[in-house]
Amino acid sequence: MTTINISQPLDTAARPDNYITHTRGFMSWAFTLDHKRIGVMYLVSVLVSFFVGGVFALLVRTELLTPGQTIPGVTADVYNHFFTLHGAIMVFLVIIPSIPAALGNFIMPIMLGAKDVAFPRLNLFSYYLWIFGALFTVSSLLLGGFDTGWTFYTPYSTTTPAGGVIPALTGVFILGFSSIFTGLNFIVTVHKLRPPGMTWFRMPLFLWAIYATAIIQVLATPVLGITLLLLIVERAFNIGIFDPSMGGDPVLYQHFFWFYSHPAVYIMILPAMGIISELISVHAHRHIFGYKFIALSSIAIAIFSFLVWGHHMFISGQSPLLNTLFSLISFSVAIPSAVKVFNWMSTLYKGNIVLNTPMLYALAFLVLFTIGGLTGIHLATLNTDVHLHDTYFVVAHFHYVMMGSALIGMIGGLHHWWPKITGRMYNENLGRIGCITVFIGFNVTFFTQFFLGSQGMPRRYYDYQPEYQIYHVISTIGSYIMASGFLLTAYYLLASLFGGRLAPANPWGGRSLEWQCASPPPFDNFSTQPRVGDCYDFSAIRWDEKEQGYVVDRALDPTLNPNLAAKNSH
Amino acid sequence: MNIASTIFSNLLAGDPREGRTLWLPPQDSNLAVNSDLMFWWINIICYFFFIGIVIALVILVVKYRMKKDRPFRTDGPLHHLPLETTWAVVPLLIVIFIFYFGFRDYLNFMTPPKNSYEIAVTAQKWGWLFKYPNGATSDDLYVPTGRPVKLSMRSSDVLHCCYIPDFRVKKDLVPGRYSYLWFQTDDVTPEGWGHNLFCAEYCGTGHSNMNRKVYALAQPEFDAWLTAQSQWLDKIPEEELYFRAGPKLYARCQQCHSLDGTKGIGPSWKGLWARVSGGEGGDGKFVDGTGYQSQIGAGKQYQTPEDYIRSSILNPGEHVVAGYANAMPSFKGQLNDKGIDAVIGFMKHMDEFDTKGKYLKEVPPAPKVSMK
Amino acid sequence: MTTLQSQPNHAVDAHGADGAHDGAHGSAEHAKYPFLQHHFDTPHHQFDSAKLGMWLFLATEVLFFGGLFVAYAVLRNRFPEVFSYSSHYLDTIMGGINTCVLILSSLTMALAVRFAQTNRKTGLIICLILTFMGAIGFMVIKYFEYSHKIHDNLVWGTTFYVPPHDAVGELEAKELSVAPTTSITLNPVNPAVFAVPVSAQTPPVDASAIKQASRAPTGMATPTQMAKAEGLPTGEHDPSFAHPATHLVDKKMPANSHVFFAIYYAMTGLHGVHVLAGMVVIAWLLKRAIRGDFSSDYFTPVDVGGLYWHIVDLIWIFLFPLFYLIH
Repeated sequence: MTTINISQPLDTAARPDNYITHTRGFMSWAFTLDHKRIGVMYLVSVLVSFFVGGVFALLVRTELLTPGQTIPGVTADVYNHFFTLHGAIMVFLVIIPSIPAALGNFIMPIMLGAKDVAFPRLNLFSYYLWIFGALFTVSSLLLGGFDTGWTFYTPYSTTTPAGGVIPALTGVFILGFSSIFTGLNFIVTVHKLRPPGMTWFRMPLFLWAIYATAIIQVLATPVLGITLLLLIVERAFNIGIFDPSMGGDPVLYQHFFWFYSHPAVYIMILPAMGIISELISVHAHRHIFGYKFIALSSIAIAIFSFLVWGHHMFISGQSPLLNTLFSLISFSVAIPSAVKVFNWMSTLYKGNIVLNTPMLYALAFLVLFTIGGLTGIHLATLNTDVHLHDTYFVVAHFHYVMMGSALIGMIGGLHHWWPKITGRMYNENLGRIGCITVFIGFNVTFFTQFFLGSQGMPRRYYDYQPEYQIYHVISTIGSYIMASGFLLTAYYLLASLFGGRLAPANPWGGRSLEWQCASPPPFDNFSTQPRVGDCYDFSAIRWDEKEQGYVVDRALDPTLNPNLAAKNSH
Repeated sequence: MNIASTIFSNLLAGDPREGRTLWLPPQDSNLAVNSDLMFWWINIICYFFFIGIVIALVILVVKYRMKKDRPFRTDGPLHHLPLETTWAVVPLLIVIFIFYFGFRDYLNFMTPPKNSYEIAVTAQKWGWLFKYPNGATSDDLYVPTGRPVKLSMRSSDVLHCCYIPDFRVKKDLVPGRYSYLWFQTDDVTPEGWGHNLFCAEYCGTGHSNMNRKVYALAQPEFDAWLTAQSQWLDKIPEEELYFRAGPKLYARCQQCHSLDGTKGIGPSWKGLWARVSGGEGGDGKFVDGTGYQSQIGAGKQYQTPEDYIRSSILNPGEHVVAGYANAMPSFKGQLNDKGIDAVIGFMKHMDEFDTKGKYLKEVPPAPKVSMK
Repeated sequence: MTTLQSQPNHAVDAHGADGAHDGAHGSAEHAKYPFLQHHFDTPHHQFDSAKLGMWLFLATEVLFFGGLFVAYAVLRNRFPEVFSYSSHYLDTIMGGINTCVLILSSLTMALAVRFAQTNRKTGLIICLILTFMGAIGFMVIKYFEYSHKIHDNLVWGTTFYVPPHDAVGELEAKELSVAPTTSITLNPVNPAVFAVPVSAQTPPVDASAIKQASRAPTGMATPTQMAKAEGLPTGEHDPSFAHPATHLVDKKMPANSHVFFAIYYAMTGLHGVHVLAGMVVIAWLLKRAIRGDFSSDYFTPVDVGGLYWHIVDLIWIFLFPLFYLIH
């Protein structure tokens, strides 16, 4: 299948009715209750935000090419606005909604075998909340911007003269509710809309990951909501709950903020892990290794995520006893993470690996996540964290996790499901080149920053000592390489929409339910109730020349052939 | 690794010390030794796992690539409980060990010895003030070698963070409470060079310039410095105050007050004296609507312009100039009368300084200040 | 459970905008129950899902308020004397009546659900009206409580240390002659006097949002000292106030008492917003009940609306003792 280069003519008439062609016109999208369309709208919005956040990232990197001012007009204040916007956009507008709200909305009900999410209207409402939140956040730019850093630490955030802080806080508050409603919707969907045969332990691992994520979204995000609300009234009315000069406590704010924002890291990474489970097993055409351990490790991570927030505050004046406890518990996250990595690797063992673009992204994820995870050990250890805290070491670490893992996983998933979503195949060779470029650029950018940090360069610095310049230059060059990789990716993906080969129902040989419906899926997902089998059993998958895709060989499928099932069940 | 280290340490020009590696700066405090040891052990564990994982990935991907025109192999194991349990438990044991050693050393970080030499640190946007037991103050940190030094720190506005990379110490300064850190350095800082002290907690416009140098002096030199430092203002004759002490003191004002007329966080000092003493620009207003003329002068709230400047330094919120936020911290307890005189003199003789605060005339030879 | 193969007749309910959708072969369940959305099999299935969703929403509500409860605990632990003393400024009688009102409205809400389940439309409507009246009663009492406190200047933040509003008017009329050293830059009542930096690099400022960044910690000052330090009239020695600021002359009142009122307004205010939201929900239920939408087959909105109303009550049940009763 790696050698298909046949370009078929564009022929929509030959395609059966699907969710894209089902109804037409702007209103049919703006008021749609179809989870697929809402997913696509999220996807477009998130990718646009990713572009905007990326531009700010490049501005930040370019500014840091030399100590002092590099870009004319970019003063320290402007720079502070840049990195704040980069952080806030990437965290709240891109990474948090990218997988659950965009890909999850599209894929999750189909994978589950449901016709829609449990609450389609709430789903649309979440999307519009996202839009409003994004508008508020971006409108803060016109109202004087905000230079607080994405963490909004008080008292700085309550005293900075920047005029856009309250709109930005309101925006993030609204985005939080968008996230809560999405999570709520997904939990109910997984609980209540599983069709007959789709037992908990037959669910694809992506669904387990989405489910674990949704639990965090529902339980952690409200705390962010109330924290931001308190910060808004603190700034607007000076109520003094966080203000030390009024008897309040700024460290309390940090506790509140990280009680959400640490779990939020897992809102970002868990669904990416779910995607990787799918990518690796589908593109290695090999039953996932240790299904239950991977599934339960997602839940374990969701639970641990609520107990480790204090490791962001080791030097903030938190009591040494709390620091000790949080350090100990933080290490516990290593266990489920290690289980996942080793199980994914074991899935490759005796597999049938095809190095497609999604598989390359999955392998990139494995390498980057390993680096991100391992450097977490330096930061969870109390005495080494004292040196590394708030330096570029932390910056590098969380970019390896949030970008190198969460976003790379998302982009891998985008490539994996692109044929399903759009009905078009992208150029495989350009895809591979794009992935490798991004991988190299990423490592050049961020691995350098580990040295920068351990040599003592603090983060959020506009100006720096000349001795750090060499690292900054290398890092900035890396960011340009990475940006070119992303631009290439954007190019061939967009090009595929107009000239790409029509995608077969099952281009990769996946077994989960989304590969059993047409590409793009019909309006109501399945015309007949799909049979739920073992979604990681590839024994019955065969390449079909006529389809130019994979098909299930009915005779070899245990779910379709009862005789085989009795003999061959796992 | 050695070649790389050499390249990178050469790149860090100006640092006369040895012992810098690719990862870490030289160890210049007692705390650095164990902290770095821990860092290296974790690094070795990370190298081991990372290299192992990458090699395994390459082998697996090469070996199990799909063969064309061959049915899928389906003989791979689906799960293996002992194996999976192993790779859940082994990392757990490793991290528990790491935690334990990190924790043990951290207790050392958190426990300043009783005989520590205590220096009070105040941070405010965007500068540091170090106050020594004898009342001397300085903008850069001077510490004696060979004995533990404890910094007792507070912030007077937003969060700051005191970070000295060479000493591997760092601690947030939280407004409304005191925080501590300690270290002991045994090496005298080489001549013409200083350790960096950074603010590591984001604090706004001047965050990246909120850095100072740390100088470790042997005890006798430190004592001499301290004596001179506590008396430096006293030793200057009244008439020389403005050009000897003025520029030095202005260094702490320059973040907000320019000398070339540029509007900063606060008003420029260019033409300031004319404004407050009724000359050009004397029709300026305060934010409460009153003007300079209605507040400054005999029988008014400020009898003389000097009174107004003095009040603005000690009680800045009293009369804020229109167009500016009430952002200035009080310098009460930080500037004595002589210091305020120096600043006022500096303002009065603005035309004798360049826009950076450098005295344009020739500075007469300094009066002898005993260094012993 | 019937199969999902069937195509719903009433997909319009879930896919209203996709009206062109042609659900030709509707199942019996979907034909029988017009409210049944196309992705559910039976009314029971739909009801269960809605209820699970509501319980999850209640969990988020608990965590939402949880943040405030934690803030309460932390502040109380910091200033036990403030919380013990300031609670005397709250009116236990009014709070008590409000508690009774809310508990009664919870009862009527529970009855409403029961009437909906048993097809008794009149009972349902009466109970919803009673619940709504309870909510109004609660808000009216709350209004009297708030306005009394605001009149006495028992408010949040630095304003706590400013004399009541009408006194400020007099003050301004006298051109601040009451206290010669008064600096009204510190008086948040009048945001117009806040300085607005117009520095070229600094973006425009939300004037009302600035506070005194540089003010030294005053956490340990007594209210009157603090008022003095801030140059504000304390009312202590000033007979000219038409309405003496009672708590400002209260010498026993501990320092930082404004913290109690800050968290009091934050928590009861947020609860009040929830009561208002509940009133909207009840009004909507009432409208649908009058239209006759609910029956023993379909009472999901009443049931989940009721759940929401109960959590609003439940939160008050915690707020009442925390603020009014325990000292």
